Amino acid sequence: MRTKLNGILTLFLALTIQISFAQEKTLTGNVTDQDGLPLPGVNIVVNGTSNGTQTDFDGNYSIVVSEGQVLVFTYLGLRTTNRTVGSANTINVQMDVDAQALEEVVLVGFGQTSKARLTDNVASIASEQINEIPVPSLQSTLVGKAAGVQITQINGRGEAGIQVRVRGVSTITGSQEPLYVVDGIPIINTDESVNDSPINPLIGINPDDIESIEILKDASSAAIYGARGTNGVVLITTKKGKQGKTTVSLRSSYGVSRATNTREWLNTEEYVELFTEAGLNEGFTEDDVAGFFNIFAENEEDWRDGLVDTDWQDLALVDGEVQDIGVSVSGGNEKTRFFISTGYNKTNTIIRGNRIERYSLRANFDHNVSDRFKIGINSTISKTQISRLSNDNAFATPLQAIAQIPFTRPYTDDGVTPNDGALYYNFLFQEFNADHDANVWRNILNLFGEYQITDNLRFRTEIGYDLNNQVEERFFGSLTEFASTNGFADANSVQNEKYVLNNYFTYDNTFGSVDLNVVGGMSFEQDNRDLQFVEGQDFPSDALQTLNSAGEIVGGGSSRTFFNFLSYFGRANATIFGKYLLKASVRVDGSSRFGEDKRYGTFPAFSGGWIVSEENFLKGNRTLSNLKLRASWGLTGNAEIDNFASRTLLGSRTYNQSPGLSITQLGDPELSWEETTQTNFGIDLGFFSNRITASLDYYTKITDGILLDVPVPSTSGVETVVRNSGELENKGLEFVLDTKNIINDKFTWSTSFNIAKNENEVTSLPNDADIISGQNIAREGEPIASFFLVEYAGVDPANGDALFVRNTLLPDGSRDRSTTNNFGEASRVIAGNPFPEVIAGLTNNFTFANFDASFTFQGQWGASIYNNGGRFQSASADFFDNQSRDQLQRWQQPGDITDVPQVRLFGGNGTQASTRYLDEADFIRLRNLTVGYTFPSKITDKLNIQRLRLYFTGVNLLTFTDYNSWDPEATADFNADNSLAAGIEFYSAPPAKTFTFGFNLDF
Amino acid sequence: MKYFNLLLIFSISILFTGCDDNLELEPAQSLTPGAVLTDEGNMQNLLIAAYDFAGQDEVLSGQSQLASELLANEGELAWRGTFADPAEFNRKEMTAPNFFVERFWELGYAGINQANIILNNLDIITDSAESARIEGEAKFIRGTLYFELARFFALPYQAGATNSQLGLPIQLDGVVDAGAITFPTRSTLEEVYNQAISDLNDAYNLLPASNGVFADRYSAQGVLARLYLQQGNYAAARDAANDVLTNSGHSLAATYAAAFNNDSDGVEDIFMWQITTQDGVNDFNTFWSTRDFGGRSITGDITVEAPYFNLFTAPDDRSTFFYEGSGTTLTTKWQSQFANVPYLRIGEMHLIRAESNFRLGTSTGLSAEDEINALRGRSNATPITGITLQDILDERRRELGFEGHTLHDGKRLQLTIDGFAFNDDLLVFPIPQRELDANPDLQPNPGYSN
Repeated sequence: MRTKLNGILTLFLALTIQISFAQEKTLTGNVTDQDGLPLPGVNIVVNGTSNGTQTDFDGNYSIVVSEGQVLVFTYLGLRTTNRTVGSANTINVQMDVDAQALEEVVLVGFGQTSKARLTDNVASIASEQINEIPVPSLQSTLVGKAAGVQITQINGRGEAGIQVRVRGVSTITGSQEPLYVVDGIPIINTDESVNDSPINPLIGINPDDIESIEILKDASSAAIYGARGTNGVVLITTKKGKQGKTTVSLRSSYGVSRATNTREWLNTEEYVELFTEAGLNEGFTEDDVAGFFNIFAENEEDWRDGLVDTDWQDLALVDGEVQDIGVSVSGGNEKTRFFISTGYNKTNTIIRGNRIERYSLRANFDHNVSDRFKIGINSTISKTQISRLSNDNAFATPLQAIAQIPFTRPYTDDGVTPNDGALYYNFLFQEFNADHDANVWRNILNLFGEYQITDNLRFRTEIGYDLNNQVEERFFGSLTEFASTNGFADANSVQNEKYVLNNYFTYDNTFGSVDLNVVGGMSFEQDNRDLQFVEGQDFPSDALQTLNSAGEIVGGGSSRTFFNFLSYFGRANATIFGKYLLKASVRVDGSSRFGEDKRYGTFPAFSGGWIVSEENFLKGNRTLSNLKLRASWGLTGNAEIDNFASRTLLGSRTYNQSPGLSITQLGDPELSWEETTQTNFGIDLGFFSNRITASLDYYTKITDGILLDVPVPSTSGVETVVRNSGELENKGLEFVLDTKNIINDKFTWSTSFNIAKNENEVTSLPNDADIISGQNIAREGEPIASFFLVEYAGVDPANGDALFVRNTLLPDGSRDRSTTNNFGEASRVIAGNPFPEVIAGLTNNFTFANFDASFTFQGQWGASIYNNGGRFQSASADFFDNQSRDQLQRWQQPGDITDVPQVRLFGGNGTQASTRYLDEADFIRLRNLTVGYTFPSKITDKLNIQRLRLYFTGVNLLTFTDYNSWDPEATADFNADNSLAAGIEFYSAPPAKTFTFGFNLDF
Repeated sequence: MKYFNLLLIFSISILFTGCDDNLELEPAQSLTPGAVLTDEGNMQNLLIAAYDFAGQDEVLSGQSQLASELLANEGELAWRGTFADPAEFNRKEMTAPNFFVERFWELGYAGINQANIILNNLDIITDSAESARIEGEAKFIRGTLYFELARFFALPYQAGATNSQLGLPIQLDGVVDAGAITFPTRSTLEEVYNQAISDLNDAYNLLPASNGVFADRYSAQGVLARLYLQQGNYAAARDAANDVLTNSGHSLAATYAAAFNNDSDGVEDIFMWQITTQDGVNDFNTFWSTRDFGGRSITGDITVEAPYFNLFTAPDDRSTFFYEGSGTTLTTKWQSQFANVPYLRIGEMHLIRAESNFRLGTSTGLSAEDEINALRGRSNATPITGITLQDILDERRRELGFEGHTLHDGKRLQLTIDGFAFNDDLLVFPIPQRELDANPDLQPNPGYSN
């Protein structure tokens, strides 16, 4: 602190002296571009002061300065120019195109390159786009920011898994998730939830520690990760210290949240009316119906006189809050640099009982041992505590409460104890008499050493260790669903660790007009996962919740599994005359996961580019300031299969607590990775000194040898066998447009727009046979996981029966479009696509004086969602579940024209799986809106503060959609790992709409 | 700086050697067929798992019996649960994707495959008595599963007719290699019954008279009695039941209540599917009891309604073996969550022998009237004099209610069931959609088109 004070004092003195003794004069001049044309709007500042001006329309300026001072000329897209004021009263400046703007560094895995020389399709997201607003998770920072990357949080739970799909889905049963690499080390991305509701494996990573994210989208870039590159690779770089003054940053924010949407359900009066009618329609008397009602009402008046009218949805979806605090310190000298940070996040989500607290620490150091030798460590540890909920497919999950009857009281007379007389298990008992807590400890360490062997050759070694340690404990007390066993509890513990070793050489040299960069090395990785659990029942008291108190231990076990990869890789980049770009890479991957007969795979890639704007006929052209053509081809794999999927295995199967063995899987010894061949053609454009930049990419991505759970006749004892079988194709267009619309010293406005279209088609399946999973199908010639449903045809106006289109295939290939009220007579048809065909993002950034603002819209078109809960929620009063309000539009008498069949209690009128419950899920969402104010330096300087910014940010503030259930992005969590069961909703909570206020403080 | 170079060269050389061996990893929880099928100690392990498949709640510990009762329901029961699949049974509107039906088929065949693996590898067992017992138990499981599956997936067996209607695919080879998967077609019902009879007869001949909680010869004989009755082969049914009643050592429990909710095999139990707190699920309890006793809902998913009680005209312990839920009536038979499932009990054997004797005009073991009255006596019901066939059939419903016999009895007695003819297509399970999708050679059942 003393040094710092001294520094400030010295600076202050120096200024005083200058002001006292310098000779002031008026300086004028003219600023032109490289072609000699006048440049209006160039910023001119006297270095170290707030004194500045701008050039006028003709490029002229004038400013009062003193001799010896330095003028800084800045103009976007042109190289910043400094001029020292001498005795002359005129300084004319010619500014050059700034190659630097295109010299933006892009990480590409085991190295980096400049954006100008990049021949691959890589999306970069820099820290400014990540850190200015608090976000719940690492992945959500990317929403709407990268073309062709779809990011969806499964549902509104805070810890919910997040699906990231790069350029469509390229597999059927393999993982669709990209490979995540943090500071060069592939990390664990395995969901360890015990109840099928996924936990985002990256939840422990503090988004505020991230410097930049690169997404390797095409094969040419991802092929360096070989057998794991098909789904794209997300490279995450954490913040590093920089040489210079030590900076302390403090951030804090607080927000409130609520559901993006709620739905309308029947109130007591409407319920009684609808269900009385439904009972009468099915031959029950009014007394019968009253008898039914009385089971679920405490008193008859509760429903007859409407004394009780419970809004169960309101009990399930509550107001949430988010608190986020973080401090980081960074700095360093020429020998040693550091970045340390700590963060705390507390989120009470919009779903009753779901809370998260995360504590994180990070320390990144790097040190120059000598001119040639550099070492460093990046380390983080975090702890995340989650109060969890049952998965979407459980009565205990809050949102299933909407099925409860409105005249059922939620609580007993004491107002605290939940009422146990409800139609379904009352979820309020979960809060009252149960607990479900998860603790996740995540530790990622990465040590590296880099040695410059010669001026052109360096060696880098990286040792990574990643530990994901999770303990999940559940207790269900004597009043819960486990009343019959006096409570139930379990404790589950899992330790997943990964060791990674990377060693590689990098060679850089220039031979005449050829710049050469060569990388070569190897990598070894081992992943071990150990799991233990115990469960027990018969607890003496609800206050004793750990298994030590269980009267009987009823289950327990442990297991372990592992896999490894041994890989060799190489890459060469050549740049010829600074405009012809060539790249070739190869990776050889061996893995214990692959069948004995096919243990190693080779993944080559090639790409080339031509920077046309470097050719003489374009060089220096300001209008078309950049033109680059790119083409790439490469082979990648997807190896995300079970560790021993290629073997026939027998596993334990007990009966009467005696040990047994049964076939658990039939294996194929030829089993290996899925192979994806991807071709990419791209064009990069820059106009007006790159004030406008655009890229257009076209790609085809053909995956064959798809890892498929091929259904087999279960007469063979198993239902599926994993095989490399089938082929699918994604092809698409991506367009990115970045514009700097207005730039002057008062106001800036820039826009970033991306849009991507992806077409997916299954091109081949084993025996040309369909693969059907519930309501989804993989069929040749159709998009993967298309909806396969009987087509609902509305209501017969004569009798109120639900009608279905027969759709029987006729000999001429057409389909019988007549309708039937017999569901069994109707054939299923392809009815929609669960994945969007078009996704887009639009971000605008503004600064005005000390204000900044930005907003991001995201949009998706072409996807549908099947609401699997519809057959209970909007079921023409088939059962006592409360109904969505639209069921009031039911058919009542002959001639009624409506879409809602006659209400029939226990009548099953149109409740079968049909397109009645399928809906288009197009939407446009205001993903984020931020307004900030940075205090002017004259105030902050007085406070010895570098920067103070206050802001408001809102997430998901507006959603424009015609989707009729909760939210067009919320889908069922319990089948999230079944890639064919896509786009299925089941009592899935909507995401949160969050309003947050916060500040950033640097000093 | 030299030592840095040395260090680096050292670390690289470690890495480039000896890594390849690391790609050979062996699973920690599983064994390969090569390891299992060469060790005779594993045959018993394979057998245990075969019991587990057959005794799954989705197979013979509740769900198939629930289907039988709901498909035959004419108002004696009410389905109050939220699951759509049992609701389809109750409405007699099954669809090919019905998950209860699918799991019954899949796990049933998994059990058959498990039995087949054992039967294909008996030669590794050196002890002949051990070999006979294991073969007998495997055949008991296979024969029982073929019989139980056939009753649901095929049109009813009709006595005296050629039963050439579609039965089941008969698989007799165990699959332990993906290359050995076949795409079988369905044999006739007669062939399936013959396979079941052959397996159960072999089991009877191979098994000891008593075998703990596992199948003994009388378990096989008991299933045979049930099977012959289903075929209308009354002489064989009578003799099989008589053999069990005379020689098995099992007899009626002292009271009706004592025959149910037992954690271990009682005197009346010829064969039970074992349920413990750690192992197995009793789905009778899941669906037929209230939440307080481990069931799914506060009302109970399946409740007993007034028409059922018309069967009782006089005092009878069985007419009061019920309890109240939330304004609903539930059978007490399935009140205990972790009780074993009484799959074959002596009460049923008495009824089979009595009915067969009555129809044949014989008195093997006991006269029909005496036998029925003995059974009634256990429940403190007054004796019947001048017994008729209808009395015996009513007695079956009083004694064996909610145990999963109703649909099969309706079919063999050729009754009209809730307005459906006994041989209506819609009273037969659809072949699961998943199975039809996976095996294009498998013929669907008539009446189902999706």
